Amino acid sequence: MTRRTGQLHLNAFLKPPGEYLAAWRHPDTAADAGVNIREVLSFARTAERATFDAVFLADLVGVPFASEDVLSRVSVVNDSFEPTTLLAALAAGTSRIGLIATASTSYNEPYHVARTFASLDHISGGRAGWNVVTSLNDGEAQNFGLDAHLDHATRYDRAEEFHDVVTGLWDSFEDDAFRHDQASGVYFDPAKLRALNHEGKHLKVAGPLNIARPPQGHPIVVQAGASEAGKNLASRIADVIFSGINDLGRAQEFYAEIKERAAAHGRDPDHLKVLPALSVVTAPTESEARDKLARLTELLPPQVALADLSYWLGGFDLSPYPLDGPLPELPVSNQSQTAQQQIYENARRDHLTIRDLVHRVANDDRTVTGTPQQIADHIEEWFHGRAADGFNVVFPYLPGTLDDFADLVIPELRRRGLFRTHYTGTTLRDHLGLPRPSRRA
Amino acid sequence: MTDPTARRLTLGALVQGSGGHIAGWRHPDARPDGQLDFAFHADLARTLERGRFDALFVADVVALWGHQLDSLSRTGRAEHFEPLTLLAALSLVTEHIGLAATATTTYNHPFHIARKFASLDHISGGRAGWNVVTSVVPLEAANFGYDRHLEHELRYHRADEFVQVVKALWDSFDDEAVVRDKATGRYYDPTGLHTPHHRGEHFAVRGPLNISRPPQGHPVVFQAGSSETGREFAARHGEVLFTTQHELGAAQAFYADIKARAAAHGRDPAHVLVWPGLSPLVAATETEARRRLTELQDLIHDDVARRLVQDNIGDLDLSDHPVDGPLPDIPETNRSKSRRDLLLKLAHDEKLTIRQLAHRFAAGSAVAGTPEQIADHIETWFRSYAADGFNISFPYLPGPAEDFVDQVVPLLQQRGLLRTEYEGTTLRENLGLPRPAVRDRHLQETGR
Repeated sequence: MTRRTGQLHLNAFLKPPGEYLAAWRHPDTAADAGVNIREVLSFARTAERATFDAVFLADLVGVPFASEDVLSRVSVVNDSFEPTTLLAALAAGTSRIGLIATASTSYNEPYHVARTFASLDHISGGRAGWNVVTSLNDGEAQNFGLDAHLDHATRYDRAEEFHDVVTGLWDSFEDDAFRHDQASGVYFDPAKLRALNHEGKHLKVAGPLNIARPPQGHPIVVQAGASEAGKNLASRIADVIFSGINDLGRAQEFYAEIKERAAAHGRDPDHLKVLPALSVVTAPTESEARDKLARLTELLPPQVALADLSYWLGGFDLSPYPLDGPLPELPVSNQSQTAQQQIYENARRDHLTIRDLVHRVANDDRTVTGTPQQIADHIEEWFHGRAADGFNVVFPYLPGTLDDFADLVIPELRRRGLFRTHYTGTTLRDHLGLPRPSRRA
Repeated sequence: MTDPTARRLTLGALVQGSGGHIAGWRHPDARPDGQLDFAFHADLARTLERGRFDALFVADVVALWGHQLDSLSRTGRAEHFEPLTLLAALSLVTEHIGLAATATTTYNHPFHIARKFASLDHISGGRAGWNVVTSVVPLEAANFGYDRHLEHELRYHRADEFVQVVKALWDSFDDEAVVRDKATGRYYDPTGLHTPHHRGEHFAVRGPLNISRPPQGHPVVFQAGSSETGREFAARHGEVLFTTQHELGAAQAFYADIKARAAAHGRDPAHVLVWPGLSPLVAATETEARRRLTELQDLIHDDVARRLVQDNIGDLDLSDHPVDGPLPDIPETNRSKSRRDLLLKLAHDEKLTIRQLAHRFAAGSAVAGTPEQIADHIETWFRSYAADGFNISFPYLPGPAEDFVDQVVPLLQQRGLLRTEYEGTTLRENLGLPRPAVRDRHLQETGR
């Protein structure tokens, strides 16, 4: 394993009051953190103090389908801030950290999305990022006049066109178009404005956008697709790729493949940062860390764990199947094909029953638990092993696991020279070491 | 005149980085690049809060503010923040002032709008307001896949359904439904969840909204329709109504009409506030104030003057018409009807040239005078039931806003017209508007 020069990139994945479905029940969380701005702001400030590259907000534009009993026992999907309004508020309450939010290409208009992220980039002084998603579930579709979610291929086809429209709109004005010259009365130079006049398969958008080119040129584009269509799209358009892979070997394969694909698109592979998810519970000793996780996982009702497994399998109802039997053959998911496939592979490889799988969800087996040194070792192994350029750090409950990461793991990473001690730039692009895109010719 | 103590004056301020006057950005004391400067907006918001304004308001168009580049490139309107992101950021640097913005019902989806304003209401602790508009600028249609914008009546029809859906989404959860009981593990009580399952003519929206009920119940609904259809819509849904009024008598007539219409819809007329526009320019003497207004008018370029008239009358080309000559005859169009009628009548009655009409329009509801004169104007309109308050547009920024806050506001306070401290914590409380109960929605819908 050849050691790499350079440093890690770390995103703080904020899902107040935590990623774990029962996080809101934890005695140290604010149950209302999803709609409590003081709480969320304090999380963002902690992440900024720890010099994370960015905070990241996931999003669904609708409540997923599940039983009333299950839904009424979870927090985030029912009761969370809308991400772009939240990020704008966080922009005013922080000064350096990047601000990334999810916005769906399936249930939005590109003009609104281009504008919102351009505005956020201006408000924050160049710290905005857009996570391009195609949305996940029928609960979302039915809020927008559709009976069912668009099929996978159509979604990705639209997403690519949508992205191209958004970036085209960001390029409406040249960087130096606005003169603000009081004496001559020229506010902007009309020769430096261009309408998009896009007419494509899915979208028709005239433009131009009604805002100056964003400070970053384009806000950072993030993508997380891991299906064939997803990887193809991400390697072409993304500055950052999130992945949910938690197996080192598979992560290395994915990393190599993405970098190759980026090169095949004529891009510098270093300009596409691969950040797998990393859920962390840490404490000075291993047993303390394990106790922390155990105190959290005991709070999850079993019916919620089963429903969560069903959700990731594509909304398939598992209740008719015996808990101690194997996972049945399921139709290919129209939600996240990758998530479904990963659960399947794990189940087959380890001969797991449905009960085992539910147990894994309940025990949050994706979480890496250990001392700060162990966590740093894991991070270092993945980084030098070219499985990751950094991580999208997931916090099972907030602020506890974020505070621990900031106070215990970050100093260890800094000691090892793996992570910055202070911000050297002002924009998210600066933090990620990515060039500012020139305006499309 | 009846005793006005039961009423209290309310104030909103239109926030545009470069100012409300079309040439305001060129004034030597203006901030020509203020439009995309967040710190500048934050300072302005705090100034308004110091002046105990109820709300600041951000107007919006989801397109460039015109397509004639020769004129557009000479105004400060070619760039602006997206309003919801601006307001959310401002909520963090202010404590009391209401935060209202325009969002069109023509080129948005109700789920997103319900969600963003609910989110803003939670972020700001109950200070959000939504100015409901139907889009009239043809350029907007082209940004959303349409060749032309919707016809007038259809736009209002869609808007009506849009508002109903948004309110139903805000009411997804009862106020008490979200119990967040850590011990029992119930986040919400399922009996308090009302999934809208809306299927209407324009929208199919299942819901529920994925956020608990806004602190205000519903963010305050602002409206500005003044055509017949628009007034009906405003009287049915609006809680604060913007209106352009240049003359006391007409303003009183509008005021009385809106209050009567609101009553006819079974609403308490006191809960529909009428806010005419007002553009104050304060100076030590009236002469000085007028001189400053003239100075601003002289900064309007000829192309901008033509475009100003053109944009407010219809899709018609004035470029061959001398700016110091009269208006040509004008065909019926599909634009916002009331403003067009107003301008045509004005031009005809007073034999105005294009430039003069442009200056009238640019001056808008300008009142140039001493602090006493401006306070008198406000008091007169308020006490004679022409206004419950004003939507104030400062000709340029920040000077005239600071002057108003430092010189006019104390007078209004001395006269007992304006609060010295905010009455409540939410925009609704400060405006004296009741917080809607979830049940009201069902009564309204079945009772109509």
